[in-house]
Amino acid sequence: MQSAEMAIDMGDGRAWHRSSPKSNHRRVIPGFGLTLGFTITWLSLIVLVPLTTIFIRAAGMGWDDFVAVGLSARALKAYQLSFGASLAAGGINTVFGMLVAWVLVRQDFPGKRIVNALVDLPFALPTAVAGIALTALYADNGWFGGLLAPLGIKVAFTPIGVVVALVFIGLPFVVRSVEPVLADLGQDVEEAAATLGASGWQTFHRIILPAIGPALLTGFALAFARGVGEYGSLIFIAGNMPYRTEIAPLLIVTQLEQFDYAGATAIAAVMLIASFALLLLINLIQVWSRKRGMA
Amino acid sequence: MSIRLTDISKRFGAFTALTDINLTARPGEFLALLGPSGSGKTTLLRIIAGLEFPERGTVHFEGSDITGLSVAERRIGFVFQQYALFKHMTVAENIGFGLSVRPRRERPSRRAIRARAQELLDLVQLGDLGNRLPAQLSGGQRQRVALARALAVDPTLLLLDEPFGALDAKVRKELRHWLRGFHDRVGLTSIFVTHDQGEALEVADRVVVMSNGAIEQIGTPAEVYDAPANAFVFDFVGESNRIPVTAADGKAIFRGSALDVDANGVRGPGELFFRPHDARIGSVDEVGIDAIVSLVRPREGRVRVESAIDGVSGPIELDVAPDAAPTPGQAIRIVPTRARVFADRIAGARAA
Repeated sequence: MQSAEMAIDMGDGRAWHRSSPKSNHRRVIPGFGLTLGFTITWLSLIVLVPLTTIFIRAAGMGWDDFVAVGLSARALKAYQLSFGASLAAGGINTVFGMLVAWVLVRQDFPGKRIVNALVDLPFALPTAVAGIALTALYADNGWFGGLLAPLGIKVAFTPIGVVVALVFIGLPFVVRSVEPVLADLGQDVEEAAATLGASGWQTFHRIILPAIGPALLTGFALAFARGVGEYGSLIFIAGNMPYRTEIAPLLIVTQLEQFDYAGATAIAAVMLIASFALLLLINLIQVWSRKRGMA
Repeated sequence: MSIRLTDISKRFGAFTALTDINLTARPGEFLALLGPSGSGKTTLLRIIAGLEFPERGTVHFEGSDITGLSVAERRIGFVFQQYALFKHMTVAENIGFGLSVRPRRERPSRRAIRARAQELLDLVQLGDLGNRLPAQLSGGQRQRVALARALAVDPTLLLLDEPFGALDAKVRKELRHWLRGFHDRVGLTSIFVTHDQGEALEVADRVVVMSNGAIEQIGTPAEVYDAPANAFVFDFVGESNRIPVTAADGKAIFRGSALDVDANGVRGPGELFFRPHDARIGSVDEVGIDAIVSLVRPREGRVRVESAIDGVSGPIELDVAPDAAPTPGQAIRIVPTRARVFADRIAGARAA
């Protein structure tokens, strides 16, 4: 009965198609040309053109000068700190963000809404405020710093401090990327694994992780990218010692303050290329993991 | 394999989900938990599985107390309402999952797991679909994969939560025939939850009718349909008409005339229940219930007559032979041929 009805529908559809002569490539979703054109124009205006000017500016200074500033020992150390700390913070956020997301999706407890709102606070807070607060906490005379100092662990004004601040800044990204996927996965799938005799760990790494993997990577990439560009919260806690705790964005600001615009764009260009390469790599891993997950 | 529940009670906060449930499933039996939504039937099934834990009461399995055992330790096959298949695994991997998570000592080889999965695929008649992903299957096929996955761990008991709930009517009917035949072949003690009385009557050996967290009646399909224990069961299982009556001198009295219906021990306000096929249109000199016909339509070889009684809410439905069908607007006298009287719960509660 159903197929008969469908046949009639399809007959209608064909008749309607035939009545419009050049509609061989008709799509159900309308406005492909218009929306794609808008998307490209918009991305060009907002992202591509500003970024291109960086390269044009940097190109104006000549290759030797570019290398001298952009790849100087001091700049290389700064890149190392910025990218290294961002990767570390992204990794930490991936683990704990996933945990927070799981609790928010699966567990019910009083004050859940408040916890939920807390997760977004690092988005809303001016990052300089966060930096000052973290510095106060982790300085040798702060609440946490005071406890850690006798153990010989220094956080504020060291690379560890940079990581701590970036963990704070990047927390919401992983939580918010993973949350909807986890909710969509459904509690019954976890229960099904349990009825089949799977332990908690087996359920996690055989069922949950493959399902949320791509979302986790997205969250990681966002947190990482945010970390690379972060400036406000780090200038206080990092200490800004050249070759040791100086982040790349700060180095750029330093150049700007000395009116060395070419030098600033050179460093920016190197950061851009490195960021783009890393994000592309993460994207490729994502595509690969999705394919493997589906195979 | 028998299962025995004793005095099970469960609350969710202020809401009482189950009160003092006592129930035994006999070895090899196919049991249906039937009730409206919120009656506690799914909670009861989840307690048996070990996915919920009761506040009070015990679950005994083959005479040993398993109340405290976790779901993984109980070795129970559970089929979820929405199938809960693992989307990123093939059908064969889904079915083999239960074997592949066993401790290394007890785990069969990869090849043995594949062979077992194939065996189960053949059993549920999906032999060549092992390499598909769940998303590439129809609803009925997914349901059978879920069943095969539950059976892979050699469960001692099979539990199914609304197993046909998410399927369309035709597939539903086919699958329930299939499931009944399947149960008879495999012989596993099985319990399924449903809100569809037709499903429960057609598939189960015994039906457990539940409402508001309590068991109203346990019986064979014939017992719950023909001899309902109370007004709720009469109303919920099968179609029924309900008319307020007074019981006196062992008879049901409707507006002064004593109907030929035994009062069933009720005295005072009561409710008369009868099924549409258990009444006829009588002549004017018979004792009956006067009604005005509102709608007449054919139905499965008979004619369904809807009529209204002045002062009684809801239509009264009758099934009559096509040649005896009245016309809308006609006054008729309804003579119940088989009816039951139950004490009026609401009036009784008001009096108490």
